[in-house]
Amino acid sequence: MNIQGFVDSMDEMLKAFLLFWLPIAMVPLGLWFSMSSRSKSTTTNGRFLAFFGIILICLSTWTVPSSPSTAAGHLLGAIIGPCMLIIIGIYLISFSGNVPVGKLPRSDRRLGVLMSGAGFVWLAGMHWWILTPQLSPDEVNPYWYVFWPTFILLTSCLASCSAVTLLTLGDRRRAESNAMFFVSVLSMIILLLGLNIDGPLVQADDFRENLWLAVADMAGIAAGSLLSILVFAFVIYTYERSLPPPKTIEPPTALELERVSAVIQHHLGGEEE
Amino acid sequence: MKESSLSMTWRMILLAFLLPPLFILALDITFYGSFKGIDSGVTFTRFANATLTAYTLCSLFLLGNLFFYGESRNRPLAPLVGMIFATLLGILSTWFFIGQGPMLLEDNGSVRAQAIYNIVHMFVSSGAIFLAVCVALGVTFSAITSQKPRSDFDLEEE
Repeated sequence: MNIQGFVDSMDEMLKAFLLFWLPIAMVPLGLWFSMSSRSKSTTTNGRFLAFFGIILICLSTWTVPSSPSTAAGHLLGAIIGPCMLIIIGIYLISFSGNVPVGKLPRSDRRLGVLMSGAGFVWLAGMHWWILTPQLSPDEVNPYWYVFWPTFILLTSCLASCSAVTLLTLGDRRRAESNAMFFVSVLSMIILLLGLNIDGPLVQADDFRENLWLAVADMAGIAAGSLLSILVFAFVIYTYERSLPPPKTIEPPTALELERVSAVIQHHLGGEEE
Repeated sequence: MKESSLSMTWRMILLAFLLPPLFILALDITFYGSFKGIDSGVTFTRFANATLTAYTLCSLFLLGNLFFYGESRNRPLAPLVGMIFATLLGILSTWFFIGQGPMLLEDNGSVRAQAIYNIVHMFVSSGAIFLAVCVALGVTFSAITSQKPRSDFDLEEE
């Protein structure tokens, strides 16, 4: 069976649907199956579906080269390595500390620091070194300009927020707060370097322009999400208000109250030692 | 904690969240005398597109959640219909506003191309937001678990 010939003969729209949008839908669907089912086989199939979806999304830039949307799949393939390193590294650091359950060996802490550090250096290398995600030679993936400023700015904002929260709401959390301030300042330094130092492919002016677009993007996402949550709450509130009031029962009679008192009286007190 | 003190704490937390972009703005004004790199037209277009897309996608997600809400209420139709209308409103307003011309069209030639671009853009932004939240929460948790264990007994002794 000539699969390449079959794929080539497909309509571009159909190709984008089957090889890009369908795999995107497979990821949440697979995760839903794997998390909601009690059957082991459904859980395994769900995980496989999500994993297969991610692989197809990453390959979409080659399977559907005509669709500009598949640049997002290309970006996913490029950043999935450093992102996994960071997430697994932080997991190892967290659970090799003083946790009551699921404690990992102390030696995992060093490995975790190494993995997270390598992940961040890898991402920084995509800005200032030869690792920049490129669709073709010297053509930077446009979604890299969306991902990188959003990630680095929000990390700085959230770390700063977390540091102040630990200081103001926490009890004797100065050391932890200082660690979060350090992360925030580190992210700020990376941002300031990006705003002033050109990489081999990413120019400082492009980064600056996209940084403010990322701010607009995050503000828009916050506004849109809040609006939809408000509408959702309004719909539920309107429906609940339209329901008839629940039936109330008669208050207890004097006889019933007397009986309850007797039962309580019977169970109060205890034997003397 | 007193109410005024709590309100002050919330304000401090909000200010801490906004501090990094405000700091960059302050630096820009100090060194360049203006908001360098900000094109208000393009920024507004991005904000509007992000708002419309986030509203529509979030409404779709919440519409799915209504399915589980209905489970405990004998599957009423009224809230489901209400939320379907709210989601349709998002889709239609996105289509309408993008179709008005260059106001919401970024580098795309048609309404459909812009709508698809908005969705893909939202996925990438959401991925970046998800990773940033993971890093911030993870590092906070790591910082807490790396300290020596405390006990209430120690606190009482002090």
